Amino acid sequence: MDWTTIRLLYLSELRSALRERSVLINGILIPLLMYPLMMWVMFSAILFVTARTESFASRVEIAGLPAEHRGLLERLDEEGRVEVAEVDAPPATTAAAYRAGIEERLRASELDAALIFEATEDGPPGNAAVSLLSDGSSDQSQTARGRLERALSAERSDWLDRIAEQHGLEGAEWQVFEVESGNLATGVEMGQFLMGMMIPLFFVIMIANGCLYPAIDSTAGERERNTWETTTTLATRRIHIVAAKYLYVATMGTVAGALNAAAMVVSFRSFLGPLLARLGDGDGSGFAFELPPRSLPVLLLTAVLLGALIGAAMMILAAFARTFKEGQSMVTPLYLLVIFPVVVLNDPSLEFTPPLAAIPVVNVVLLLRQAIAGNLLWLQLGLTLLSNAAAIVGCLWLASRVLRVEEVATGSFEGNLFQFLRRQLRPAGGKA
Amino acid sequence: MSAIQVEVQGLSKSFFDQARGEINAVREVDFECRSGEIFGLLGANGAGKTTTLRMISTVLQPSNGTARVLGHDVVREPVEVRRNLGFYSASTALYPRLTARETLTLFARVNKYPAERTRSRVEEMIERFGLGDYAGARIEKLSTGMKQKVSIARTVVHDPPVLIFDEPTVGLDVLNALDLQTGIQELRDEGKTILFSTHIMSEAERLCDRIAIIDKGRIRATGDLEGLRAATSQHYLEDIFVHYVTSNDTSV
Repeated sequence: MDWTTIRLLYLSELRSALRERSVLINGILIPLLMYPLMMWVMFSAILFVTARTESFASRVEIAGLPAEHRGLLERLDEEGRVEVAEVDAPPATTAAAYRAGIEERLRASELDAALIFEATEDGPPGNAAVSLLSDGSSDQSQTARGRLERALSAERSDWLDRIAEQHGLEGAEWQVFEVESGNLATGVEMGQFLMGMMIPLFFVIMIANGCLYPAIDSTAGERERNTWETTTTLATRRIHIVAAKYLYVATMGTVAGALNAAAMVVSFRSFLGPLLARLGDGDGSGFAFELPPRSLPVLLLTAVLLGALIGAAMMILAAFARTFKEGQSMVTPLYLLVIFPVVVLNDPSLEFTPPLAAIPVVNVVLLLRQAIAGNLLWLQLGLTLLSNAAAIVGCLWLASRVLRVEEVATGSFEGNLFQFLRRQLRPAGGKA
Repeated sequence: MSAIQVEVQGLSKSFFDQARGEINAVREVDFECRSGEIFGLLGANGAGKTTTLRMISTVLQPSNGTARVLGHDVVREPVEVRRNLGFYSASTALYPRLTARETLTLFARVNKYPAERTRSRVEEMIERFGLGDYAGARIEKLSTGMKQKVSIARTVVHDPPVLIFDEPTVGLDVLNALDLQTGIQELRDEGKTILFSTHIMSEAERLCDRIAIIDKGRIRATGDLEGLRAATSQHYLEDIFVHYVTSNDTSV
């Protein structure tokens, strides 16, 4: 192999590609910026909605509040932004009409929520049945409901404690059982689980995306621009020209995958982490997005493997096209074929077994998921490398067979890969 | 007598077309070209000129016969043939996203022009073809005339002894076409062997030292203009051409 010539042609392809807007957008900008941008938009939107919701002043009416529960008003005062209108309990004869009136005011957005206390005969003084009315279709009403529920729950708990104390009981004695929940997974493990579900999926999509345009551009695109014949008149073997183009396509796919993975990790840490902390307990200790150091070589290795495999397969299909458009229609089914099983098999309960490790592309996703979670299964890793390497060799062998046929090499073959294979398999003499 | 640089013997090419069956595009073509001459292939559209030249330039493989460039066989030693050849045709466009300078450097390096002299050779080509102001501009931004100059420069940048121009003036305006013809004459005067195909009689008359008239894939006659005139008793090349393609005369 003449590596000096291959290097010259490869660099020329890369230089040319980096001046093409579509290659830059699909191969570099989208993988690099899409997720940070998406997550930033999502983060900003959620913060905006949260801030807006928090700023609502809730208009609340409380009817029949027992003297024992005056503390509820203090609690609502502490919640802030709650405007309370207190009314006496309606007499039993007009209770239904009062409730209907409340419902009407809620629907008309004249009121955000209402609490109706109905004293009961049983139990200690202050015992009451409470109705909490709100409008589920209104954000403002839902916020008011949340504020009332928090205050009511705290008031109820305090009141029960006071009653228990009067009867000489400790909290543990009358609560029957107390539930203490615990999550054994650390923040890092939870973060790795989430990244393991998302990064491999988008990683494959981005590598396929990164290979797509260069594979078509360097084959069908060259024919359309009439530069293919110029290239074939260069004083080098055709295998060197094809090798340079193949390395260029594989590089673009690999770079797209690696950039995408890096961008996703940064996005998780910078946007998703703070967002989940804000939506959760607020202290930020829920998730920690850190990649285990030993997943990095696996990530790079799989990016190279997938770039090489998808690039080779796409180039074989695009080699039959004479225009860019024709190339797109020939390669797009492969693009979908690569993505479909990855999406379907993105199930957290799916185990990475040796048989699955023998299926190219799918095994890369599962291997990557394991690596991100900090588990490296050596047998599966070996099988993944072998099966993908075998698939790459198979694609390159097929490519060399295809390009040996003059009609395909010169772009005069009418048909696609499958028509070509059918013709090749046809018994000799069946031509005419 | 100058040395034979291109030798073509019994060269044939057939294609298979699903609708039309087997098509014999070139049939047993023989000719030879010497250094310092412009050898013209004159024929109507579809006569087999381009197919013949594409076989000599190794783009296509012959179905039968042989072609040699400086003694190198086009089938067995295609890389050696291409190293000694510059091929220019309407279907050999330039890479639109590279600059003129990058294009010339790439062609010089891949065609094995000595690496240490590539830079000066590229600058020499830029100056010779008046590309100075545009050498750093991408090809896609250049005018048709400038693109054509870059195309010729990339054809000759590795200093090949044999040049093939396949209908080079197609699509050019009169001034650009004349400019290109002058350039080809200058290259001939430098001792290059030039194979030139055209269907324009005046162009062949003005440029070619010897002409082969090709029709339906066969060479009907080969000779210099005076010889063809004497053989056909016709003065104008147009009449000579008509004489050969409408009769079975292969006397010259």
